[in-house]
Amino acid sequence: MSELTVTVGPQHPGSGHFALIVKLDGDKIVEVIPDPGYVHRGDEKVSENKNYIQNIPHFERPAILDASNMLFPYVHAVEDLMKLEVPVRGQYIRVIMAELNRIISHLYYFAIYGIFVGHSTMFMWPVADREHFIDLAQMISGQRVGFAFLLPGGVRNDIPEAVKERANEACNYFEKRLIEYERIFMNNPIFEKRAKGMGILSKEDAIKLGVVGPTLRASGIKSDIRKDEPYAVYDKLDFEIPVSKDGDSWARAWIHIEEMRQSMSIIKQALKDIPSGPVKLNLRGQVRPPPGETFTRAESSRGAVSFYLISNGGMTPYRLRMITPSFRNLRAISHITKGLLLADLPPAFWSLDYWPVEADR
Amino acid sequence: MSETPKIKHEPPKREKKIADNITVKLRKDILEIEIKPKRIKVKVKPESIKKAANFFKNKLNIDHVASVSGIDYPNDNEIEIVYHTGTYKHKDLSDLVIALAFRISRETPKTPSLTEIWPSTEFDERETYEMLGVIFEGHPKLEKLFLPEDWDDIPPLRKDFKNPRR
Amino acid sequence: MSEIRTFPDFLKRSSIVLGVSVLFIIIIFGALIYTIPAVSNFKDVLLELIGINSLFFKIAVFPGYTWAALIATEIIWFERKFIAKMQLRVGPLYAGMVGGILQPIADVIKLVFKEMISPSKSDKLIFYSVPLLSSAIGASLLAVLPVSDGWLIMRSDVSMLIVFAVIGFVPISVLLAGWASNSKFPFIGALRGLHQMIAFEISMLIAALSVVILSGSLDLVNIVQAQSRIWFIVLMPIGAIVFFITLLAELERIPFDLPHAESEIVMGHQTEYSSMAFGSIQLGTYIRFYALSGIFTTLFLGGWYGPQFLPAGFEIINQIEWFTLKTLLVMVFIIILRGVNPRFRLDLLLKFGWSRLLILAFLNLFIAIFILQMGWFPFTGGI
Repeated sequence: MSELTVTVGPQHPGSGHFALIVKLDGDKIVEVIPDPGYVHRGDEKVSENKNYIQNIPHFERPAILDASNMLFPYVHAVEDLMKLEVPVRGQYIRVIMAELNRIISHLYYFAIYGIFVGHSTMFMWPVADREHFIDLAQMISGQRVGFAFLLPGGVRNDIPEAVKERANEACNYFEKRLIEYERIFMNNPIFEKRAKGMGILSKEDAIKLGVVGPTLRASGIKSDIRKDEPYAVYDKLDFEIPVSKDGDSWARAWIHIEEMRQSMSIIKQALKDIPSGPVKLNLRGQVRPPPGETFTRAESSRGAVSFYLISNGGMTPYRLRMITPSFRNLRAISHITKGLLLADLPPAFWSLDYWPVEADR
Repeated sequence: MSETPKIKHEPPKREKKIADNITVKLRKDILEIEIKPKRIKVKVKPESIKKAANFFKNKLNIDHVASVSGIDYPNDNEIEIVYHTGTYKHKDLSDLVIALAFRISRETPKTPSLTEIWPSTEFDERETYEMLGVIFEGHPKLEKLFLPEDWDDIPPLRKDFKNPRR
Repeated sequence: MSEIRTFPDFLKRSSIVLGVSVLFIIIIFGALIYTIPAVSNFKDVLLELIGINSLFFKIAVFPGYTWAALIATEIIWFERKFIAKMQLRVGPLYAGMVGGILQPIADVIKLVFKEMISPSKSDKLIFYSVPLLSSAIGASLLAVLPVSDGWLIMRSDVSMLIVFAVIGFVPISVLLAGWASNSKFPFIGALRGLHQMIAFEISMLIAALSVVILSGSLDLVNIVQAQSRIWFIVLMPIGAIVFFITLLAELERIPFDLPHAESEIVMGHQTEYSSMAFGSIQLGTYIRFYALSGIFTTLFLGGWYGPQFLPAGFEIINQIEWFTLKTLLVMVFIIILRGVNPRFRLDLLLKFGWSRLLILAFLNLFIAIFILQMGWFPFTGGI
């Protein structure tokens, strides 16, 4: 059969809000050209018209699933320029919210992965189990999805007393569930046949293409900003970074499961070690960094997110650039899908944890 | 020639060593180096960007570029382009981010593309092209990435672009 | 009505309702037949025509189309409820007194009132013949299914051949549906369906052939009678497993539901069907599900044999009970498999079907011939 060009377009049950132009030879993929931009809202331009507090809910919208992780470098950038010192209790609460977000986002990853592979039970279970963690987040911040919880100088409010017990309950329940996930999904022979050896990204290619996050760690490079450049109180907490040498889709899914285990361990430690004290600095609403520029980064669920802030002393930023992990992983999509069958295209690009809204901003 | 800006503390040793190394090797091309803990910013002349990039890649082992940012300075009539780079291979340098910056004219913004040196800059340079109008010579596919194909206004991130609805 | 929260609760309620409704239907039907006030002549003629022993009754009511349609409908409900419980959901809840048991009937009524659309350039004759074909395939399979010893619609010396001839029609209906829809996704789905079914039919045939060899006859009733002492699944477990897997492939059920893989090709070859055309195809599919599970029971699980737990004089009903029970168990097992597995990819599927499954089927055939030659298994009649 001659070459056929199919658009796995924005209106397709097997794609997100972006298009993939796929050149097929029969059922085999010859080339994939990603076509992002369907959800581009001009976040960077809009942020120049909003002041620094208005930018907080604005910049958690691109990756609404792990909102707190996205805000970390932003508040660090503002605090860096203003030379603010965040109280320790506030930092612990930030870490707790960040790890909760990581679990919530990873469970959504598994839900959609299940759908793309045709496993409807793997869609239902993570969505149901997420509710426990979303309830926890609601107890802490009052919101289920878009928290706007981190502020320059701390967090918005203190955590209630019942959170500790509820979090321990949720973590104990979920640790047992993770074993069941492994049995029904990761060790399922049909899924193993489909995912092992599929979409391999070698170590050199991973470095050359500049990928980040679980994709990078699945290709054998141990790089995690929480360990390389510890921020908040990550240097006081004890956790590991899972790394795999295979670089295929199964390894990427495995890393997500291990990261969820580590996140639960971090949450338990943080709730045990948290000191008392204030949770935020009283800035009296005056958030106005002096002129200067700074580049900060943090580790969100999908990879390293960075902010480049240039301030000229005004009420609004002069230039605020947000570099999201999905944008950095975009090139890997065309690379790992060469030579796959069309049926493997959605599982392959989803295993990179590509979130279109985040890439387009 | 390097000028360390006036800072209160002694510049951190490791960053100072790397900055001195850069200064020695790329003498005439550097305009300014700023050193902060874990961040170095190197401002070079726009003509020598490729030479500096090659030096970064081969001698300093910089293996990836985190982002390419463009900033519009209409008052100076210039556009500044910053490449934030880092290295994965050396574990003790993994928290260091070296920024490579240069300024080009706002009327005719042209600069050589660095996709052969660092392939990860392909999409970033496309974005800078469509958002600020900077032409990267030698880029394999310089087209619009996010904006619609029938965009007929000036590049949106320029300061004189006004949202027509506001 | 309180919400059903646990599985034993749900089992209790559903068994009560099912038992009561079945009893009710039997009583009413019996009363109607025997109390029609009329000339006894007329009553006799009527009895002969549509009474309990007539052909009409067997075809239309039991064990014919109505019975199969009832089972199909309630299996749809059961599948949705069971899968929901496995997935931490509730499933149908509101239609009907117990846990949404009338939900499929509500769905049918909804489908009847929808508009029947077909793509503009499609071949209307073929397009609208596929639902009929689907129901016809299901109905023909039912005709030879031995529900009990003597109580079946059609007994023939070659009923096994009939079964396989009818099963061979299924890929044709898939291809017709995909081609007549005149659209990209149904076509891809139809081709995938063809690939899959052709790959698995041969193994199915060979596994069934070993049963025929051991029992010595192509007649399904004789095959069941040969299992009066021992079931064939004990003698030929490999054959049973092979037949079971090919059964899943013929029915296009998960893990073999590649022809209508939702996340890639919307609904495969059934994409363009709506309203009662879609309803008929689904009904035909589920009747085929019941019929093929019945054939599996006939070939390997000993058909209608089971201990007599009703008083003497009710042997036939006892046999019917056991047959239905075994068939339902097979269907439940297939439903469980749906909840636990993702989908196979086409090249892995074909590799599996053409190499490993075929080898196992042949191995089973040799085992059957071996058992026969050794004289370890008595049989009725000869080959």
